[in-house]
Amino acid sequence: MHRKLWIGALVVALLVSLGWGINEYRLAGEYRLLAENNNHRALTDFASHLDQLETDMAKSDVVSSPTQKILYLSQISSKSDAALKDFAQIPADQAGLSYMGEFLTQSSDFAKTLTQRIAGGGTISAAEEKTLRDIHERLVPVNQKVQDIMARMDTENLAWTDPKPSLTQRLGFGGTQIAEAAADGSEAPAKSVRSGLDQLDASLQKLPPFSYTGEYATRVVQKPLGLPSGNVTQAQAQGVARDFLNKVGYTNTTPEFAGDSQGPLGGYMWKYKEANLEVSHQGGVVTYYRDQRSIEPKTMSLEEARSKAKKILQALGWQLVLTSSEDYGSYVQLDAVAEKDGVRIYPDKVRLMIALDNGQLIGLDATPYYAFHQTRTYPTKVTMNQAVQKLRPNFKVVESRLAVITKPGNQEVYCYEFRGRYQEEEYLLYLNALTGAEEKIQRIIMTPRGEYLQ
Amino acid sequence: MKLHVRPWRVVLTIGLILSIALSGIAYAALGDRLLGRGSKGPEVKELQTKLAQLGYGMGTADGKFGSKTEAAVRKFQKDHGLRVDGLAGANTIKELRRLTGQSTNASGKALGNKNIDTNLLARCVNAEARGEPYEGQLAVAAVIMNRIADPAFPKTVADIVYQPKAFSSVDDGQINLPPSAAALRAAREAVNGSDPSGGALFFFNPAKTKNKYIWSRPQIKKIGNHIFTK
Repeated sequence: MHRKLWIGALVVALLVSLGWGINEYRLAGEYRLLAENNNHRALTDFASHLDQLETDMAKSDVVSSPTQKILYLSQISSKSDAALKDFAQIPADQAGLSYMGEFLTQSSDFAKTLTQRIAGGGTISAAEEKTLRDIHERLVPVNQKVQDIMARMDTENLAWTDPKPSLTQRLGFGGTQIAEAAADGSEAPAKSVRSGLDQLDASLQKLPPFSYTGEYATRVVQKPLGLPSGNVTQAQAQGVARDFLNKVGYTNTTPEFAGDSQGPLGGYMWKYKEANLEVSHQGGVVTYYRDQRSIEPKTMSLEEARSKAKKILQALGWQLVLTSSEDYGSYVQLDAVAEKDGVRIYPDKVRLMIALDNGQLIGLDATPYYAFHQTRTYPTKVTMNQAVQKLRPNFKVVESRLAVITKPGNQEVYCYEFRGRYQEEEYLLYLNALTGAEEKIQRIIMTPRGEYLQ
Repeated sequence: MKLHVRPWRVVLTIGLILSIALSGIAYAALGDRLLGRGSKGPEVKELQTKLAQLGYGMGTADGKFGSKTEAAVRKFQKDHGLRVDGLAGANTIKELRRLTGQSTNASGKALGNKNIDTNLLARCVNAEARGEPYEGQLAVAAVIMNRIADPAFPKTVADIVYQPKAFSSVDDGQINLPPSAAALRAAREAVNGSDPSGGALFFFNPAKTKNKYIWSRPQIKKIGNHIFTK
């Protein structure tokens, strides 16, 4: 009797776990399918956008009227962006610098630059026409390769990424079978969609870069323009660090060496209590400072913090004007920029953080200043009055000045800056001081923490 | 003259008084009274929701002011230069309301939250660099912003964060944890252009990474446990 009960209970338990297992298996299958569908969607969309992009490039070459040229160039830009977005969703083993991504970003960027120019009444040079054709030339084989990968998915059951080594291979019995075609440069047929795309990436890498002016024209960070010349020793850098700490309110300090940083603005890193600072190898200046000390309840207003910041800037030897500020609760972050002969130079920026408990400097980032500061000469051809005439009717100017602003891609433009109101909104408008062209619009938004430019 | 009171009027009056009194309880607004350990009710829930929105989470907003809520209030007070007493009084609530308020245009029209990408950025920072010094968290946020500015990467925060195998925290689901206050602050600062990483595009933990590609990248500096590279 007992035995029957036991067997019955075991059978029920088996059935329940079997049912549970089947259900889990089914669910896992559904999720797998969902993921698979998303991957297919990304790859198909990618191929389709590349295909349309290729034709738009041909059309943009043949059109003659500026309006149609603008249409096709802006389509090149949006199709390239869409293809980049699809490309970023295709399964991968790792994320790295991608030449495919760079190719698409630059084709979008270049087309956008040209669109804006033609829309402003400008023309495309013969060299730029040639660059467009070069991009088109490169796109054709890319297209073919992607379509080939898609075809092989159907006939060869291509996986999304290379299979991981099997257990026997990992134990060293089966030898390595993983194709490293992309790495050794040979054109063995790819074993997965990803390795096919990697081969494509490697072939794009071998081609010379395009030369054009635009937002993403170059990846290389320029040599810092504002660092004083001559390298300093570690001992000299320690002196600089000690002097700096003295000026921000720490006495008798011995900053501890915390390693070197590399790169164009590389330097000696120092640590003192909870503060970190960095003194550049070249020029021996403090490029970065951050104090993570605990901050007590606040005793000062934003205005008081601003005047503290002005004093600290002077003490540290900076001659800058304070611009925007952002409230972080126990401290406030302020941006200060250079101003020369009434021209506000936004690229030469230093960022400061002032603790609201005692007004001490707890953060400084002078890297933008040292990266971009240089002697500039700017001719103006447009007068302030002429510039005002170019503004939209009913735009009420509140503030105006000359300014140097940055454009993405390490470019600088000399502009008239107008802060003003139009239809209940407040904006910053920038008009090129040489050509009178509208360069940039920023909408001013009031956030709980300060003004935000969008 | 005899006052003639109709029974239905009595019922109506009592009902009216009751409903006013009850609605007073139900709609007690945040800031009407001092909230502290043991307080309960919808205004506590509102307090908890606002704290969580700024990264001072305490699990579920259950409307009960317990030890976790007190800890969250203390942390909020500490980070915002307020007197640290663990009580949600007028000053604390005023600051909380201000910081969770919407952005507006120049004439005061509410526009919602105008910097919406910072939330995902903060989630990524929280998942990738929780336990790192603040500077290390800021540097991780800056890496994502640097990628947006680099031609070889996609152009939105979501496209970069969710790029396959770009961040291990996306694969193990940690990206879905609510971001801490420090991570939110780091994200906001990075969006505003701060970058202690020196223009890095990658970062990795040398103790946990064998990936050849990442080790081959030119290194810029080490912050906390992470090496930042070009």
